[in-house]
Amino acid sequence: MKHKLLRIFMVCFFCSASMAFAQNKTITGTVTAREDGLPIPGATVKLQGTTTGAQTNANGKYSLSVPAGSKLAFSFIGYTTQIITVGAQTTIDVTLVSDAKALSEVVVTANAIVREKRSLGYSAPTVKADELTEGGSASAISALTGRVAGVNITSTSASPGSSSRIVLRGGSSISGNNQALMVVDGLPIDNSSITGGADSRSSVDFGNRGNDINPDDIASITVLKGPAAAALYGSRASNGALIITTKSGKKNTEKTSINFNSQNTFSSILKLPDLQNEYGQGYYDDPTANPVTYINDPRENGSWGAPFTGVVQPWGQEIDGVQQTKAYSAVKNNLKDFFTTGYAADNNLSFSGGSDKSTFFLGLNALNSNGILPGNSDSYNKYGVRFNGNTDFSNKFSAGISINYSNVSNSQAAGGQNASSVYNNLLQTPRDIPISQLQDLTNKYNGYGYTDANGIAHPNSYGYYGAYVLNPYFVLQNFKNLSNVNRVTGNVNLGYKPLNWLNITERIGVDNISDRRRFITPKYNFVPADTESGNYSAADRQTNVGAYQIDQYNITEFVHDLMVTASHKFNEDFQGSFMVGNNIRQRGTSTTQTSTNTSGGLVVPGWYNLANSNGPVNVITDNISKRRLVGLYADLNLSYKSLIFLEGTARNDWSSTLPVQNNSFFYPSVSGSFVFSELLKSTSLANVLSYGKLRSSWAQVGNDTDPYQLLSTFARTTINGSFGSTTFPFGSVPALQAGTTIGNINLKPEKTSSFEIGTELGFFNNRISADFSYYKNKSKNQILTIPIPNSTGYGFALINAGELQNKGVEVSLRGTVVKTENFSWDLFATYTKNNSEVISLLPGIDQISLGGFGGMGIVAAVGKPYGEFYAVTNQKDSQGRTVINPNTGLPVATSSAQYLGSYNPNYQASFGTSVKFKQLSLNVLFDTKQGGKLYSRTKDITGFNGTSAETGGPRFGVPFPNSSYLKDGVYVPNTDVTYVKQDLYTGGVNPGVDIIDASYVKLRSAALSYTFTKSQLRGTPFGALTIGLYGNNLFLWTSKENKFVDPEVNSSGAGNAQGFDFSSQPSVRNYGIDLKVSF
Amino acid sequence: MRTNNIFNHKKLMFLFLIGSIGFTGCKKFLDINQNPNNPDSADPSLLLPTVQAADGQIVGNAFQVLGNIYAEYWTQSPSASQYKVVEQYVQANSYYDRVWNTIYRNALVNAQLIINNKGAGLEYTKGMAYVLKAYTYQVATDAFGDIPLTQALQGNAYGSPKYDTQQAVYDSVFNYIDKGIALLNTKTSVSPGNQDLIFKGDVSKWIAFANTLKLRAYLRISYKDAAKAKAGIAALYQTNPTFVAQDAAIQYSTVGGNENPFYNEMVGLGKTQNVVASGTAVLALKSNNDPRLRKLYNKVPSDNTPAGDTIAYILQGTYQQNPTKKVSFPTPLVAGDANDPASATVPVKLISLSESYFLQAEAVARGFAVGDATALFKSGVTTSFTATGLTAADANTYLASAPDANIAGAVSLEDKIKIIITQKYYAMNGLQGFEAWTEYRRTGYPTFLVVSKASLLGAGLMPQRFIYPNSEVTTNLSYPGTVPVTTPLWWDTTN
Repeated sequence: MKHKLLRIFMVCFFCSASMAFAQNKTITGTVTAREDGLPIPGATVKLQGTTTGAQTNANGKYSLSVPAGSKLAFSFIGYTTQIITVGAQTTIDVTLVSDAKALSEVVVTANAIVREKRSLGYSAPTVKADELTEGGSASAISALTGRVAGVNITSTSASPGSSSRIVLRGGSSISGNNQALMVVDGLPIDNSSITGGADSRSSVDFGNRGNDINPDDIASITVLKGPAAAALYGSRASNGALIITTKSGKKNTEKTSINFNSQNTFSSILKLPDLQNEYGQGYYDDPTANPVTYINDPRENGSWGAPFTGVVQPWGQEIDGVQQTKAYSAVKNNLKDFFTTGYAADNNLSFSGGSDKSTFFLGLNALNSNGILPGNSDSYNKYGVRFNGNTDFSNKFSAGISINYSNVSNSQAAGGQNASSVYNNLLQTPRDIPISQLQDLTNKYNGYGYTDANGIAHPNSYGYYGAYVLNPYFVLQNFKNLSNVNRVTGNVNLGYKPLNWLNITERIGVDNISDRRRFITPKYNFVPADTESGNYSAADRQTNVGAYQIDQYNITEFVHDLMVTASHKFNEDFQGSFMVGNNIRQRGTSTTQTSTNTSGGLVVPGWYNLANSNGPVNVITDNISKRRLVGLYADLNLSYKSLIFLEGTARNDWSSTLPVQNNSFFYPSVSGSFVFSELLKSTSLANVLSYGKLRSSWAQVGNDTDPYQLLSTFARTTINGSFGSTTFPFGSVPALQAGTTIGNINLKPEKTSSFEIGTELGFFNNRISADFSYYKNKSKNQILTIPIPNSTGYGFALINAGELQNKGVEVSLRGTVVKTENFSWDLFATYTKNNSEVISLLPGIDQISLGGFGGMGIVAAVGKPYGEFYAVTNQKDSQGRTVINPNTGLPVATSSAQYLGSYNPNYQASFGTSVKFKQLSLNVLFDTKQGGKLYSRTKDITGFNGTSAETGGPRFGVPFPNSSYLKDGVYVPNTDVTYVKQDLYTGGVNPGVDIIDASYVKLRSAALSYTFTKSQLRGTPFGALTIGLYGNNLFLWTSKENKFVDPEVNSSGAGNAQGFDFSSQPSVRNYGIDLKVSF
Repeated sequence: MRTNNIFNHKKLMFLFLIGSIGFTGCKKFLDINQNPNNPDSADPSLLLPTVQAADGQIVGNAFQVLGNIYAEYWTQSPSASQYKVVEQYVQANSYYDRVWNTIYRNALVNAQLIINNKGAGLEYTKGMAYVLKAYTYQVATDAFGDIPLTQALQGNAYGSPKYDTQQAVYDSVFNYIDKGIALLNTKTSVSPGNQDLIFKGDVSKWIAFANTLKLRAYLRISYKDAAKAKAGIAALYQTNPTFVAQDAAIQYSTVGGNENPFYNEMVGLGKTQNVVASGTAVLALKSNNDPRLRKLYNKVPSDNTPAGDTIAYILQGTYQQNPTKKVSFPTPLVAGDANDPASATVPVKLISLSESYFLQAEAVARGFAVGDATALFKSGVTTSFTATGLTAADANTYLASAPDANIAGAVSLEDKIKIIITQKYYAMNGLQGFEAWTEYRRTGYPTFLVVSKASLLGAGLMPQRFIYPNSEVTTNLSYPGTVPVTTPLWWDTTN
């Protein structure tokens, strides 16, 4: 074998050597593309039957010395190869036609292996750079929204740095991570998200680490949706993978290509709750009086007061003997006017190029943004440098490096229900308070601490009207949530090709993240400045002991892969390759969270340092962890002509996190593709069906768990009250308590198996193309950390249980309606329907809890979709009427929790169009999710405060709509028992009532751009110039019952507890202008 | 540090190589799953203070608020809103999540882990754990009625513990007290010493505490099952029991996190003064010319009128009708002033000395035990006075004149019980609110409690229990359904 190959090698060598002595002449020319007439750099010109060849330079020019009469092959990826016989001419210009049959379309798959798309037995759609960046999204993940079927992306606030969650084909894990693995240039990278704040109820969205990738550095993203595609990545890819390829230089470029891209994005608030405009500040005095009497309490945050009169009347505090006056009427836009226009500047400068051996790409990125909150408290600044370089050495070695450094400094406002939540304070503004006019904190009626007309300072008095909430402008100025991330991600790879058929690749990567967060809570103690009117008392004080907290997160991950690939061509039609590999990875984390004493707070106000702790410093968390995984894998590929392709993979993993007896797990995959259109080539059907492929795959993937899950442990004692806590040491007495979670020494690995069948079709020379997939995934032996009743003595148990099934269909369609030289019009659409179902849980147990907040549970129940809301709600009778208490007229609560729907959409779809007219191009993309549910605290709090639209209308003397009550054992319609709206909404609405339909349609992105032609740019230094307008998250249409919130807003960020709007930061629409220049 | 890192990298690279070549080193390479952050065992002496501090949070914070409002010592301040739902008598299930968590996961499970420990010389510690377990279960069942017990605290063995009847829970409480007393009577064992936050390891005091608790528990079922109560108390007195001679209490300090739990809670709420004087208690104290009034509530801030030397109150649940009224706060004596750090050091009383006297007085009055009921009653009043900083002479003056203290004028047993429980009610103001409300539910005394003005329950109805937490609703498959707050407990025969 070896000798035979060597002989072939020798023959080739002598052949090419002898050619050199033949009668040669030099041919020059330009290779251009027919579509746009632009030169193609990097195209290959090859003397047929030899290894002699050249590549075109940046201007598409080539030069090659060849013997007369020989044949030259001009080829480039994605284009049909042209063969031209050299005659008398010395200049050969070639126009290549793009390959309509997508014959040579290539896809980067697992472990950075480049494969022909037609050979794949699974769905692996690819999104190119221009599609990713056209909407101007700062996140590569959210830029994928609507581009690919089967992908469920949830972008929280859509502002730079905010969280985006990506789930492929439904969640496979009940309580673990469901997000797709992110892989950059072959290196899996960290996409964790650690929400700031104790939990979703006080969350600060610092985004997910996937945001660190600069979309402008990306050449393409391939979405490997199923385990079959991702089996080689092992455990972590059971949820699929995003294969991100960053830009690289091109070989043989004449000069360095310099690209500059500048985006200037403006943001404004997308959706605020619908509010009532009938009633103002205060509450009822006597609801039985006729007319009802009210108390206009100027301290109130509620709008349960008298109907608006428009009469000018005093409001707020009386300071220095004067109370302000205003008309008693609704300030319709008081919330909207609070927000300002956000601005983000995203500048990218890149240099790329290459010699015949080496290429490089250097990308520099600066993203500076200031969000829609007034002032600079919500800012996100990211600086990144990427360097990619590759070189081929003459001695059969090649080496490459890909390295990225990013620094992210992030300042975000807290969401949730705490005093530091700006949005929460804002939502609790009565309808008649002109909040946006209370910005000037030096104004004594707005601020905290003032100097009166006599020059006497009142540093401990506040003048703000509200006694129960803080001026949100004060919160913005004084409460800070800061994060600073330094991250280095990179890998080096070494290739060695000792023989023509043998390729050895070694890749070592590292991902090192340091995230230092600081949380600042001011220390203050204010009493109302108003001691005159009697409306305020000293008890209406605003006090905070202050706090300073430092969280330090470090993540270091090493990955090593060694792959040995042998390929062999058995004959003209039959080829194969076989690869074996070894993967080792190690992930280490360290987390420390330290704050000033919780109840003592700060000694000196304004000095934010742990040394300023009043009482012992509170060590909240001090954790380190380390995990390792060793894997061995093999991959066999066989192909027959360009007709049939088969692939089989096998992998075995050994994980440090599982018990020794169960720590080894094996999983295989098989897939195949059958390009049946090849058989029809010569028939008349080929005129209609230009491309047809059938694919199918089956795969299994195992999965391990987090470190240190096997044993129950003890922790230092902290006994929490609702707002305070008893902490140890207690004096000098130390204490321990049972840990939260029961360990499991018999844990087994998870297994996800998946089956997929699909087809890719192209009609009429591929003017219409379609891609259908049907899949069925089953996850077994799931490792779940489930909440268990506290009466067991513990909070959570770690179990192996359950079988979760996701099955669904994915459809993508693409069509060209018109295509002429100057005008083209393309349409595309995707449709995804995923049905998840919990098949089984534990023996004898058909329901487990997944989590929940605020009286709302999320459960997995057999026969139901994964993630069903489960809560106490209003009782309904058999006719669907709300059952009320005949004594009070108020709805009766169910005595147990009810199933209230899932946050998973019934289906999602997208529709896009792209129109090109000469140099103008317009792209528009809509997407929708229909049928999911959402818990909205925004609904709850605006109801509580009497500001939401549903609290408008008659507030007394009417029965609860469509209600009944129990009378002598039967439910009779309620026409006589009235209720008091304020009692209902302030008395605690049943949590189930706050679950609303999360369906939406969004204008996801739109872009209009103008590209200058070469001739227009003649005489300028520019090689290319494009200017454009773009926008993303532009318009939102929600369901009728959602008058509250953008359904994508999610308090747990990219976490697993989805469908929770816990009055987190509202989402924004982004729009801007961009400029792309190359030199 | 830096060289260390480099060394680690090198080591790692070396390990990579080993991994690539073979798996001889694999086993060791993967053997890194020992938790470096948390121990997997705990000495019982480290668990004991956890149980005690948990009871401190339950009785001294969550139930302190609910109890003092339902016993109508306190009411929601018009200038705040935190406890409006308490005054409205209607709370969501989730309102009770936190305290249920504290009961089972801080107090009971750690007591159970002490009891389960196989170590030697642990009799005293285990005896204390049994008494605390009994105490906690009684408090829990007096709040919620039927609760998980036989299948509780066993982790995965019973993933959805069933609910035992309140009667069964009481039987277990007696049983745990007996087991505790037996262990505490062990001749030689090791005292946990200062790890015991209540009695510093004094075993005789623990036996007295256990006896007093037993008396409390038997008296609680005295209306429902008088025979059992009588027999149980008679058997107790057969043992020549000692009863607590000092408050069974946890002492707190000003150190952050070690403060009185209710004060600590108020700090967490931004020092908002949510609770103020209720007209119910203030008017009753005034009508008896009780000098404890001025110890328990502060004077209204004098910025109102120069002579502001009155105790101002609002009627129970009338925060909405009195938006701007200046109202007295509970004083730091009962940890009720959010802005006075003296509240931080107030103890939480699990059983107070005066309560002990009133319990004994009732047992004697009922004929369950032999003794001088009047003398015991008077000791109860006197120790209540001295606990507030007044003198025995003040108590005597009061006993001689106050209509609600006229034990001599009480002829029937019911009259005597009324006087005893009403005086116990006065003695529990501020620091034992939950027990006072529980005794009100048992006996119907005092008679002057009113329906909160803010009630959303409907005319004439008052809460009789707390509802089960949402965590049980959503996770426990044996959840028996929410029992309405208006349904009386098993031992409650007054309705």
